[in-house]
Amino acid sequence: MSGALSAPIANYVALSGILFFLGVTGVLLRRNPLIMLMSIELMFNAANLLLVAFARLWTQNVGQIFAFLSITVAAAEAAIGLAIVVVVFRSARHVDVDETNLMKG
Amino acid sequence: MAVLVLVLLPAVAGALLFLLPRDDVRASKTIGALVALATIVLAVFTRHQQFSATWLTRPFVSNLHFGATSISWWIVLLLGIATFGAILATNVSRTRSFIALLLFLEASMLGLFLARDLLLFALCWDLMLIPVFLGLIHWGSHPATAWRYFIYNFAGGLLLLLATAAFGLSVGTTDVIGGTGVALVGPWVPWIFAGFAIAFLVKTPVWPLHTWMPLTYADTPAPMISVVAGVQSKAGLYGFITIGMVFLPEMMRAYAGLFITLGIISLLYGAVASLVQTDAKRVVAYSSLSHLGLILVAIFSFNPIALVGALIYIVAHGLFSAALFLGLGYVEEREETRSLVRLGGLGAANPRLTGALCIAVLAALGLPGLAGFAGELLMLIGIFAAGFAWAAILGLVAVVLASAYFLRLFQGMMNGPVRPDLPMRRDLTWIEALAVVPLLLALLVLGVNPHPLTTFNTAPYLQSSGGGR
Amino acid sequence: MVHHVMGVPGFYPWLLALWLLPLLGAIVCFAFGPQLRRVAGAFASAIVGASFLFAVICWGVGTQTVGGALGAHQVLFSWLPGFDFGLLLDPLSLVWALVITGVGCLIHIYSIGYLEGDRAFARFFAYMNFFIFAMLTLVLSDNFVGLLVGWALVGLASYFLIGYWFDRPSAVAAARKAFVINVVGDVGIMFAIILIYSRIGSLSFGDVFANVDKLGTATLLAVLVCLFLGAAAKSAQVPLHTWLPDAMEGPTPVSALIHAATMVTAGVYLIARCAPLWSASKDAQLLVGTIGGLTALLGAVLGMVQWDIKRILAYSTMSQIGYMIMGVGIGAYEGGVAHFLTQAFFKAQLFLGAGLIIHALSNEQDVRRMGGLAKKMPFAFWAMLTAVLAISGIPGFSGFFSKDLIIYGTLANGHPWLYAVGILTAGITAYYMFRLFFITFFGTYRGDVDPSSLGIRHPELAGVASAHADAEHLHMSGWVMNVPVAILMVPTVFSGWLLFGGTHSPWARFFVSQFAQIRLPAAPISEGLTSVLTFVLVLAGITVAYLRYATPSAQRNAVERLRRETVGMPPVLSNAFYFDAALDALFVRTSQWLGYLAARYVDPLVIDGGVREVVISTQWLGALARAFQSGLVRAYAVLLVAGAACFIAYYALAGGAR
Repeated sequence: MSGALSAPIANYVALSGILFFLGVTGVLLRRNPLIMLMSIELMFNAANLLLVAFARLWTQNVGQIFAFLSITVAAAEAAIGLAIVVVVFRSARHVDVDETNLMKG
Repeated sequence: MAVLVLVLLPAVAGALLFLLPRDDVRASKTIGALVALATIVLAVFTRHQQFSATWLTRPFVSNLHFGATSISWWIVLLLGIATFGAILATNVSRTRSFIALLLFLEASMLGLFLARDLLLFALCWDLMLIPVFLGLIHWGSHPATAWRYFIYNFAGGLLLLLATAAFGLSVGTTDVIGGTGVALVGPWVPWIFAGFAIAFLVKTPVWPLHTWMPLTYADTPAPMISVVAGVQSKAGLYGFITIGMVFLPEMMRAYAGLFITLGIISLLYGAVASLVQTDAKRVVAYSSLSHLGLILVAIFSFNPIALVGALIYIVAHGLFSAALFLGLGYVEEREETRSLVRLGGLGAANPRLTGALCIAVLAALGLPGLAGFAGELLMLIGIFAAGFAWAAILGLVAVVLASAYFLRLFQGMMNGPVRPDLPMRRDLTWIEALAVVPLLLALLVLGVNPHPLTTFNTAPYLQSSGGGR
Repeated sequence: MVHHVMGVPGFYPWLLALWLLPLLGAIVCFAFGPQLRRVAGAFASAIVGASFLFAVICWGVGTQTVGGALGAHQVLFSWLPGFDFGLLLDPLSLVWALVITGVGCLIHIYSIGYLEGDRAFARFFAYMNFFIFAMLTLVLSDNFVGLLVGWALVGLASYFLIGYWFDRPSAVAAARKAFVINVVGDVGIMFAIILIYSRIGSLSFGDVFANVDKLGTATLLAVLVCLFLGAAAKSAQVPLHTWLPDAMEGPTPVSALIHAATMVTAGVYLIARCAPLWSASKDAQLLVGTIGGLTALLGAVLGMVQWDIKRILAYSTMSQIGYMIMGVGIGAYEGGVAHFLTQAFFKAQLFLGAGLIIHALSNEQDVRRMGGLAKKMPFAFWAMLTAVLAISGIPGFSGFFSKDLIIYGTLANGHPWLYAVGILTAGITAYYMFRLFFITFFGTYRGDVDPSSLGIRHPELAGVASAHADAEHLHMSGWVMNVPVAILMVPTVFSGWLLFGGTHSPWARFFVSQFAQIRLPAAPISEGLTSVLTFVLVLAGITVAYLRYATPSAQRNAVERLRRETVGMPPVLSNAFYFDAALDALFVRTSQWLGYLAARYVDPLVIDGGVREVVISTQWLGALARAFQSGLVRAYAVLLVAGAACFIAYYALAGGAR
């Protein structure tokens, strides 16, 4: 069962997993918020890849549409994230996330 | 429609007050008093009217349904009279805001007592905390008291809301107050009952959930606390009657022993604690614990005579505690103290104030001929007939204690040699007198002829008397 | 047992007028006090006088018997469901109504003189009229609730009038004490009402008396004990008598009207009214008779050792009411009620006479500082003498007839001990009344003697006036005070003759329908012999009093003798057998202690302590949660990943099967 897919679904899942893991590693290990945002995008795209792949597999376009929604949200989120980074930089003159803990309870 | 107007009128008027000039005390008081009078008139004319509009259909039906029940109509009248008195008696800084708060308080309580929908009831329950909280924060002397009042009552309100939600989910509708009762069944019933009961016990309050009350009663400005002690404290008892007795009779009966014990403890505890207070307002606060404890016992004895007595006493207690707090407020304004150690000998210079306080005190200690007595006697007869002889006897003991602590309060302020160190300002002005006279007149009229209050039909509240439903 | 229907139903305008006029008077005096000023006294007296007139007019309907129904019954309104409030006038309530309004009117007139120039003249008469109204409510009510209403309202009037001079701390305390003890009694009646209603389902006298057998022996006894608690509190019976001597803080006319003639006899009325109940329980009769006898004796003993003229009279009132309660308690209803009637006259006269003296001596109340007043105040001398002869039971005077009726009744009903107590108390009564009389009127005036030479250690506590009166310029009373006393002298001397003639006396015929079912059996000692026995003891009492206070040598050495008596007084007597201290320790201190426990310890420490535990646990939970809230983005990310890993692990290991 391969539906409209050109390659076996397992390949897509594996690629998505690798992308997601890269994203997670990036968020956890890097201290620069810009890199962290990019890593988050990577995780988004891992999820989008799965959405599109399975949509093809089941030949249901809802997944495709959802991927677009997700991309839109990711864009908006990136915009807000960048704005926050700029604001933090303006007040703290740096963007090191380990030095920024204004929200400590 | 007129009922909706009745509920919203004080709120709208309260908001509109802020259009007046900030320092025009007279205009604020006049408008406030007129609005309170208007609510009384409206309440009289809308006794049998209702207003209903759909509000929620999922997850359960809930309507914006207002209309007096046979019990709440009396409490609404009481609320109107008490608010009228409170507004006329107001003599604080920032009068305009204070009167607006009193009007908001009236509106929220009108909503509570006129609500035919349980969800509406629960929302108004929380709404009526806000004006008192603000009153305590801005005009009281201890912010901690305000928080204590709010946290206690809001915790109760939260439980009430949860219980209401559970009620709505298991019945399918919350538009039930004043309707014919269908006793709840199911595994959630004990939890629903616990939620309601704790909320009602905190509000009344009943021992051991009462410690917010003496502080609040002492610290809130007198006009506001006269409404709170007079009317707001009845919300819990009203809830027990209109919700507990109708929808949860089996739970009420199963735990009657516990609640009667709590009521009796409150009754005696409040009475002995009143005996030794030196703050005049705290004497009345603890007396309230005592009196309302007796009403709780009467409700839980599930007896028609006791229930009639409870209604009479709910109204009577509202009247005399409102009058007492107004009177104590006058004393405090004049002498700048509430301490029974420092006060004394005010009678000579203030005959009108003395007379007003005297009638209120006599009603409070259950003198025949004033409204408290009929309620007390009927409650005790009913409690005894229901088989709680020991509770009736302890109730009588509390009557004796009440005479002791109320006379101590009255004589401590009014009698004895004149104290030269007290300011001894003027006697009541006619407006100040006008604030208490309706309360005292009502006490006298209902005392001589309590008949109108006794004709209400107790059957819906005692449906399951036979044990089945 | 035959029971009469309570009253012939009908419309009785005079009865209504008799009842409501004093209320109207009270309202008018209150509302228009400043306008009425000095007219208030005359107005209030006229009101009570009119009320008395109407009571006389009502005599006919009050004593009528139509088809087994005795008296007049006026239904008024339904007070509560099942409690119709109405008025009942039968011979019993008629006697009370006549005395209340008649003696009341005289005392009102007397008060005009006594309180002349008082700051709150109109308020005083408002209270007095209100008292008359309340007392009439008590005796005219046709049901227990109405009786309780009147019962409590007379207590209130008494409270107001004891505390009339409300700037005096002692008066304020006395008023509160009287009120609280009377509430104890009210509560007793309330519980009796609860018991009766739960068994019979009605509270009208007619229904209750017709259904006595429904109560059952035990409940009936409980009802009667509760009713007697009310009677004991109101009528100052042991151990609830301690308020009465203190109540003398009120103006003297108040003592005469409320604390001698009328209110304090309400207990006697209650027992006589409930005669069908009492007659059905021998145990209750024994209890009431015993307490009454004890009170008579105790009051008389304490009367012997008082120095304040009003306190002597207060203890004598207590003792005389003890007689009445003993009489009605053991079933001698006619005797008890007769003694109420005669006592109302002679005791009112004693108080009013004492008032003449106190008034003349500028508020001096200590008999040690009087003396030799016979020549200076001849009118008071004669007034007091007739009253003293009457209370002592000298044959021919009113007290003799009524007291003998009670004493004889105790024996006839089989209570020889009470018989002995009755005779003994009669002797003591004669002693202390003549002691008062001799000390006050014989010898020489001692008002100018230094209090300490009389043994008075704390003059301010002993009712001694601050400034002594000048013996040559006594403040003599005018006709407005003398005339009522003079009028009272007539019944004080002659009212006893109504009782003359045994079962054919006017008194017996008046009550023939009221207490028909209760006729006394013959006693082993005849009535005549009883009178002789009593008289012997009375003479002995008078002789002792004469020897101690009135012989020429005693009169010469009065100051030294009084000092020795004062100093040598055993503490147990000067402290009135410690009843006050005992009640104080048992009830007042205990409840105050509990109050402190509740308000100072339980509330702030136990209950708020428990609440504080909740607060602390919440704070602890909060601290725990705060540890996670580091503010570091990467720490949050780690938690997030760890959480996700947990989920994945869970589904990988356990959820695979689903």
